[in-house]
Amino acid sequence: MTELKRIDPRGPRFGAAITSVFAIIAFGFSLDTWIYAWLILWLLFALFALSVFGKNITHPYSYLFQKFVRPRLAAPAELEDPRPPHFAQQVGLSFAVFGVISGFVWPLGVTIAATFIFLAAFLNAFFGLCLGCQMYLGLRRIGLLRQ
Amino acid sequence: MAANSTLIWASLLFAIAIAIGTAFRFLSGRGHRVKTSESIDLSRLKVTKNGVLVTEFGKKATLVQFSTEYCGQCPGVRRSLSQLEYRHGSLLYIDVDITDRLDLAAHFSISQTPTVFILDGLGEIKFRIGGVPKYAIIRAELEKLGAL
Repeated sequence: MTELKRIDPRGPRFGAAITSVFAIIAFGFSLDTWIYAWLILWLLFALFALSVFGKNITHPYSYLFQKFVRPRLAAPAELEDPRPPHFAQQVGLSFAVFGVISGFVWPLGVTIAATFIFLAAFLNAFFGLCLGCQMYLGLRRIGLLRQ
Repeated sequence: MAANSTLIWASLLFAIAIAIGTAFRFLSGRGHRVKTSESIDLSRLKVTKNGVLVTEFGKKATLVQFSTEYCGQCPGVRRSLSQLEYRHGSLLYIDVDITDRLDLAAHFSISQTPTVFILDGLGEIKFRIGGVPKYAIIRAELEKLGAL
């Protein structure tokens, strides 16, 4: 197995906290002035896409984490493999894509996407429950995922 | 729509998220008793411990942890369970890396790591816990088996 750089697990959780704030604002707007919600989903789409595809680009979340958060924290008790959080970002991206596309034809889709992104991001940030990570082994088992 | 009802919906969503998270906190790692009397075949697990192939179960009980390389919380559980083993002579602790042994994961229906099995002195699976285990529960089960 190739050596992957192990990461501080609090990094993805910090990012998820920001995502959850964007997502609940999007959720609120989607019931009201939904065009704003759609714009926020475009932003989330860009952020997810950047962490999924932007291999050598520093993600704004990780910039913020390394610059302002990490220096104030103690050393992490544990480093973790980047694959499950990366997979979780792909799941997030697919929801964002769904929301962005449905914004053209079906405004309720924007609400649905914002709801799921919020739930997943919030649970990850504040309860350490990473839905994508939980699904990872199960999905590999049924052969949907290669590593 | 009034800004008020938007706030109410958003608070409702927030409350649901907290409820799910709290339920998860409460339920995960508690595990349950295993009713089928399946014994683990050590020759199939092929686990090594300190470089030696494990061929015998613990006298009173064995803790089997299933881990993967990409599991963030596995090393912490490994440390705690090793400590427990260190203090109790009739208890054996083994850690099985199933990253590339999906056949084992399928056989034991393991869908998350860490998953911990508690076996009796004969290697029969008595209890299983998915997720980071609550240690009080492990201790209570081991006491029942006379391993503590």
